[in-house]
Amino acid sequence: MVEFSSSLNLFLATAATLVAIGVYGFIVGPEPLRRIVALNIISAGIFMLMVVLAYRSAGPDAVSTLADPVLHALVLTGLVVAVSATAFALALLARLGKTTADRPEEPGP
Amino acid sequence: MMILLLVLPLAAALLMLLWPRIAPLLALFSAAVCSFLALQLLLQVSEQGTRYWLLAGWPSGLAIAWQADTLSCLLILLTAVLQLLVGFYAFATRARDKLSQGFWPLSSLLQLSLTALWLSRDLFNLYVCLELLALVAVALVSLSGRKAIKPALNYLLLSLFGSLCYLLGVVLLYGAYGRLDIAGLVSQWQPNLLTNSALLLMSLGLMLKAALWPLHGWLPAAHAAAPAPVSALLSALVVKGPLFILCLLWLQLASTEQAQAMAPLFAGAGLAALLFGGWSALRTPFAKNLVAYSTVAQLGYATLALGLMLKFDQPLIFAALWLFVLAHALAKAACFLAIGEMSGTLGGKRLTTLKGASQTMPLAMFAFAVAGGSLIGLPPSGGFLAKWALLQGLWLQEQQLFWPLALVLATLLSAAYVFRVVVLAFDRADPVAPDFSPQVLPQWLALLPALAVWAMALFSEPLLLLLRLEAL
Amino acid sequence: MSLLLFDVLLCGLLLALALASVLSRQLSHAVILYIAFGLLMALTWARLAAPDLALAEAAIGAGLTGALCFTALARQGKLAASPTLSWQQRCWPALFVLVTLFGLLLLVLQLPAKPGPLPALVMQQLAASGVSHPVTAVLLNFRSWDTLLELLVLLLALLGTLQVAPAPVYQSSWVLSRSWSQLLAPLIIVLAGYLLWAGAHQPGGAFQAGALLAAGAVVLKLNHQLNWLAWRNIWVRFFAIAGLTVFVAAVLTAWLLSGALAEPVWLRWPPELAKYIILLIEIFATLAIAITLTLLVVAEQPATPLSLARQEDDEAADG
Repeated sequence: MVEFSSSLNLFLATAATLVAIGVYGFIVGPEPLRRIVALNIISAGIFMLMVVLAYRSAGPDAVSTLADPVLHALVLTGLVVAVSATAFALALLARLGKTTADRPEEPGP
Repeated sequence: MMILLLVLPLAAALLMLLWPRIAPLLALFSAAVCSFLALQLLLQVSEQGTRYWLLAGWPSGLAIAWQADTLSCLLILLTAVLQLLVGFYAFATRARDKLSQGFWPLSSLLQLSLTALWLSRDLFNLYVCLELLALVAVALVSLSGRKAIKPALNYLLLSLFGSLCYLLGVVLLYGAYGRLDIAGLVSQWQPNLLTNSALLLMSLGLMLKAALWPLHGWLPAAHAAAPAPVSALLSALVVKGPLFILCLLWLQLASTEQAQAMAPLFAGAGLAALLFGGWSALRTPFAKNLVAYSTVAQLGYATLALGLMLKFDQPLIFAALWLFVLAHALAKAACFLAIGEMSGTLGGKRLTTLKGASQTMPLAMFAFAVAGGSLIGLPPSGGFLAKWALLQGLWLQEQQLFWPLALVLATLLSAAYVFRVVVLAFDRADPVAPDFSPQVLPQWLALLPALAVWAMALFSEPLLLLLRLEAL
Repeated sequence: MSLLLFDVLLCGLLLALALASVLSRQLSHAVILYIAFGLLMALTWARLAAPDLALAEAAIGAGLTGALCFTALARQGKLAASPTLSWQQRCWPALFVLVTLFGLLLLVLQLPAKPGPLPALVMQQLAASGVSHPVTAVLLNFRSWDTLLELLVLLLALLGTLQVAPAPVYQSSWVLSRSWSQLLAPLIIVLAGYLLWAGAHQPGGAFQAGALLAAGAVVLKLNHQLNWLAWRNIWVRFFAIAGLTVFVAAVLTAWLLSGALAEPVWLRWPPELAKYIILLIEIFATLAIAITLTLLVVAEQPATPLSLARQEDDEAADG
């Protein structure tokens, strides 16, 4: 099963690269909104890593044809946690935009 | 009985959302009952030994593991008691400070998330607890309104980044060993590149969340921007959560070689935090920022103790670590409440508004000075107890001169910033007049934890015994 | 071989979208690219034998997060002009990230190809869990404490959001979109019900159903339907916390029922009742999730003392 394992490695590498792209965006991105998007890309990378790891047990020599349900459940939990945190961060951001817009002495660059 | 410690704050918080009017009563009631239950649990555990649970009774590995040892019980008790105290303070000053109704459910949820964190011994469950803690903390900071939004957002983003680092470490460990419970991981642990990296990633995230040097940048702004009762809770309790997990990782999971390799890094970071935090506290012009920088410095003691513990594996140093945490929690709660009370009444955020405070608000100033005494480590306060245990632990190791000398330097720095406030307060020539007549009850409430931290000396024997039992 | 080609294409597109989103000059482009990324992610998960997650990602990851980001963009207004960075500000982080990436690649390729012991354990205990779909069994029985805390995280995000939510902006809605949304609503409710019911034995469950319901409610709400759906309505508050309340009530009841045993176990469902308890929790959790997610997207300043905005506006008026 050469094809299978090379696919798996491909997805693993993609997940790691996604994390790295997200980290870059988080460090560099000057606007908070871009940082929030970057955080979501990092978490997408981590979740992808988890899903690929879960896929290991769906292989031909594994105990069942199903992927690891524990990891899937963890990803679901993680997704909800991530969307909650994102929503709160965006609400704070909107509030921040409003407060800075209220003050006329601080015009944008 | 034990689950009431979790169910009660949760039920109280949910009821508060439905009927906001009775929120303060519910919060105080649940905190009071929880304090009582936590004390019972502590007594029970210290008599009968550590208790373990596998949630829902599933086999180990599948179920989430809980463990109540004396340290966890002590921290649960501390959380509940401080919650009760700060709740009383918030209730006493609610008319003046216009603290939003949102405070009450959030404070109960804070208690719940901390209690869940102290009990959990499952890496992923700890991640959920951490996220819960971060969201509660940020929501509490943002209670201050307009000026707090920016620090709150900054805190949230960095905290989320820290959580993701931690999660990545957890996933790597799960990928390698296929389990999440700490006990199960310990039994299969092998020091290799994978576990090294996972530990480092998790530590990075936790250090960011616990504001350990050099990742402390967000803390002063966030803690200073929050309302006084919230700052007290944040500094006293919230930053200790990630620190607790950090200790779990390095003292239980990591192998001896890994711990030895990491020890100088932690000790160095702790020392740098002591020096840098102390220096910044000396320089800042704002009263609350001074206390917040002092938190950065005092967390340095805990990090230093963790580093030395990893290096020497000495039970006394472990006891010192948690004595620092306990003493700092009590002292810092007193400091923030006292400073909040003084800035509120004297009307100003700058340190100079405290001029002559010993005359206008003697009780609050006394509370600050007494708590400051413990931060410095004057005998026989809790801070002294911790330092003494650390020195004793070092003494048992031959030829250790560097660390005791560094401790003396750090002590001098903390004495300098505490006296900076005290000297200003005793400058009675031209005191700042209060905006309105000072309230007495909140000042007493600020004094209570300050006195408690000195009372720790009375219980030094049992405390040391309890914490040394815990050493691994 | 064709499957490998598909995988390569998928991974390449994912990376390109993520990179473009991070590097794009304009924030609005970043958000649009991120949404496309989310949809592709859902496809990836379907490819990786994770249909539960594909559903959840399509609804939560791409849909709701995208809606949230767009709302934030609209609220941010003129702040959207992004400053340009010098190449030094870009190069050093890039170098650092490349080193990190290299390390990460080294690590993930070292992970063993064999799964851990847990999947087998789950299959072994599945019969005792009360449901036949393993993911639901893990979420609501084996690791139900995580799920309880997760519902709490969701509620907490809502509390925080309501606290800082700005005042509502009134816009008139398009007639066509209003009638479309009315047509869409019953369809979504039926679909959500199906997902919830299916969760017991096949992919689907409370989160997917809740997210779908929320998506429908958001569309209606943006078109000024469902005006009762606001935090000031006590029934909305009641159902927003109902998921947690029912969960805790079930835990306490189960705990008391098993009290006759020597050592009562926290969070254990009696095996013969497990199926019904899980279904009950899922129904209320779905409602709570739907309401919470909807309110998160269309957060408006509530007329309760929970809001800071009102208090501050008063202060501003005084000063």
